[in-house]
Amino acid sequence: MTRRGPVAQAIYSLFAWTVVLIVAFPLVWMVLTSLKPQFELFTIPPTILPQEPTLEHYARLLNETPFPLYFRNSALIAVGTTMLVVVVATLGAHSLVRFAYPGRRWLAQMVLFTYLLPSVVLIIPLYLLMVWVGVANTLFSLVIAYTTFALPFALWLLRSFMAAIPDELEHAALVDGATRMEAFVDVILPQALPGVISTALFTFILAWNEYLYALVLVNRDDARPLTTGVINMLTSAFNIEWSLLMAASVMMSVPLIVAFAFLQKHLTRGFGAGGVKG
Amino acid sequence: MAGVRLEKIHKSFGADAVAVRALDLEIAEREFLSLLGPSGCGKTTTLRMLAGLEQPTSGRIFIGGREVTEVAPGRRDIAMVFQSYALYPHMTVGENIAYPLKKRGVPSAERKAMVARTVDLLQLGPLVDRKPRQLSGGQQQRVALGRAIVRDPAVFLLDEPLSNLDAKLRAHMRAELIQLQKRLGKTMVYVTHDQLEAMTMSDRIAIMNKGELQQLGTPDEIYRRPANRFVAGFVGTPAMNFATGRMTVADGRPAFAGAGLTIPLPPGHPVEGEAGAGGRAVEIGIRPEDVVVGEGPFEGRIRVVEPTGHETIVLFAAGEADLVTRVPGGIALKAGEAVRFRVRAENAHLFDQADGRRLGAAAGH
Ligand SMILES: Nc1ncnc2c1ncn2[C@@H]1O[C@H](COP(=O)(O)OP(=O)(O)O)[C@@H](O)[C@H]1O
Ligand SMILES: [Mg+2]
Repeated sequence: MTRRGPVAQAIYSLFAWTVVLIVAFPLVWMVLTSLKPQFELFTIPPTILPQEPTLEHYARLLNETPFPLYFRNSALIAVGTTMLVVVVATLGAHSLVRFAYPGRRWLAQMVLFTYLLPSVVLIIPLYLLMVWVGVANTLFSLVIAYTTFALPFALWLLRSFMAAIPDELEHAALVDGATRMEAFVDVILPQALPGVISTALFTFILAWNEYLYALVLVNRDDARPLTTGVINMLTSAFNIEWSLLMAASVMMSVPLIVAFAFLQKHLTRGFGAGGVKG
Repeated sequence: MAGVRLEKIHKSFGADAVAVRALDLEIAEREFLSLLGPSGCGKTTTLRMLAGLEQPTSGRIFIGGREVTEVAPGRRDIAMVFQSYALYPHMTVGENIAYPLKKRGVPSAERKAMVARTVDLLQLGPLVDRKPRQLSGGQQQRVALGRAIVRDPAVFLLDEPLSNLDAKLRAHMRAELIQLQKRLGKTMVYVTHDQLEAMTMSDRIAIMNKGELQQLGTPDEIYRRPANRFVAGFVGTPAMNFATGRMTVADGRPAFAGAGLTIPLPPGHPVEGEAGAGGRAVEIGIRPEDVVVGEGPFEGRIRVVEPTGHETIVLFAAGEADLVTRVPGGIALKAGEAVRFRVRAENAHLFDQADGRRLGAAAGH
């Protein structure tokens, strides 16, 4: 930390709080709107705080719409993608760092290259592939699609974490009687934990928020995730149900906020600690 | 019997990176054997092949009479202490020491007792609940030792275990390691580039250079009868004096002539056992303590005087040679002075200039 004078301190604080307010305002507005009865939305002058706070929109959403189904779909997709990506990326990154085989470096660069491709160009080929394999219009097709673009990034992130782990640790475990897989689980994984958590969080957020692929790859109503499902349900050419939309948005944000709250400690600890020392 | 045998071990990394070449080595049960050599000579690679962490390109490895060339590290009945200690950072000291037992399926109650015994032996009691990063280097070193001895393996492999400690602690740990080995009565293979460690701790030393075994012998043999020019130059501080020249005859006796000095070799000198030595291009090697200043047939001029307390290292020029000797501390010598000196020729070593081999090596000394 550098030392600052009181004036500079005040300017920094002012600047930081301004940024926070700008970022936070839409979120706060979203929550407030979701609590207002429908008629209060368009009063002039607009009210800031709800005059008659109500949970009716939440109740309607949960009881009278397919929102719970979409929520379940999103949860399955995000959790499935996260698990798949974390398992494949940790093992893959470990392999890229530790095992010598022909084409290893080339493989790592190709992975990065696929990450650089804009995802839009892959959407049609991927859709055709899904149809061909016979999984189009399923939750599984979205898990696969999200994995294709979360995995390259995850591999690169975890690769740097794995590279920082001294190989003598793994060798010590082997000499101590562990199998390769046990050495990986007992010794490597705990060391790479901050990286694994970052990867999981990144993948979860990506899968939870994704819109474009969900729109193109799934057009069966019972397989829609929240992003496309909610929009589809609440907007039509004639009308947007703002209150319901806001309530849905609030509920969509909850899992991300919860995930962050639980994992933030690990994230900051991981980044704060820098590398791993033997 | 838990000896170790390496048969024609060869290891290369790629086509022209040979790390270990045709290594034959037999280590007796309960022996403390050091692998000594300069950095990059293949010591660690040899040890890692013994541990099973590296597969030899060719050759066979036996531990306790059983061939283990293809056996996984965990099934070789060995334990290894790594240069970086390689303690598991997320486990406490107690968990680190218990890990090898856990992986071998030792029941929990028995495990506790074994860990407790090891903790006592190494006086780690107050540290069992700490994480490795909360320990000093010396303490980490003991934990690494603890993790190795807890399961009572047949053979210990140690890779420069003291190299990360400061000088004082190193001397202390040296003594402790020797005691530990005597107490455990186990075979130890100890890798080091520090000749002092090898000389003080070992039953025998295997000296390596560029992937090849140079000499295998007791510290005394290595010091007194170095098999070649490399061993002679590598062992001893200050290093042995060398001068190049030829074998001649002076006063009817074989003698060394070169660098402006003629040194006759006394009767019984091993070079007599070497057929056809006359006229050969050789290098003579004389330990600093075998150069005696004060009086004698040779004259030199002092260049540098380095007092170390109980002895003084003196560098001087004689003929075309630069010589080093050691004299007891307190003797007044000054740079620039002329000195007379003699050489204990009976202790002089002669090496063939062509291949570095010691002349008369077969004859003994
Ligand atoms: N994994 C490896 N890949 C390529 N070369 C290696 C590898 N390990 C060791 N070497 C080479 O083998 C030689 C011996 O290394 P090493 O056994 O570590 O030497 P030492 O322990 O005696 O310092 C060195 O030249 C080193 O560069
Ligand atoms: Mg080494």
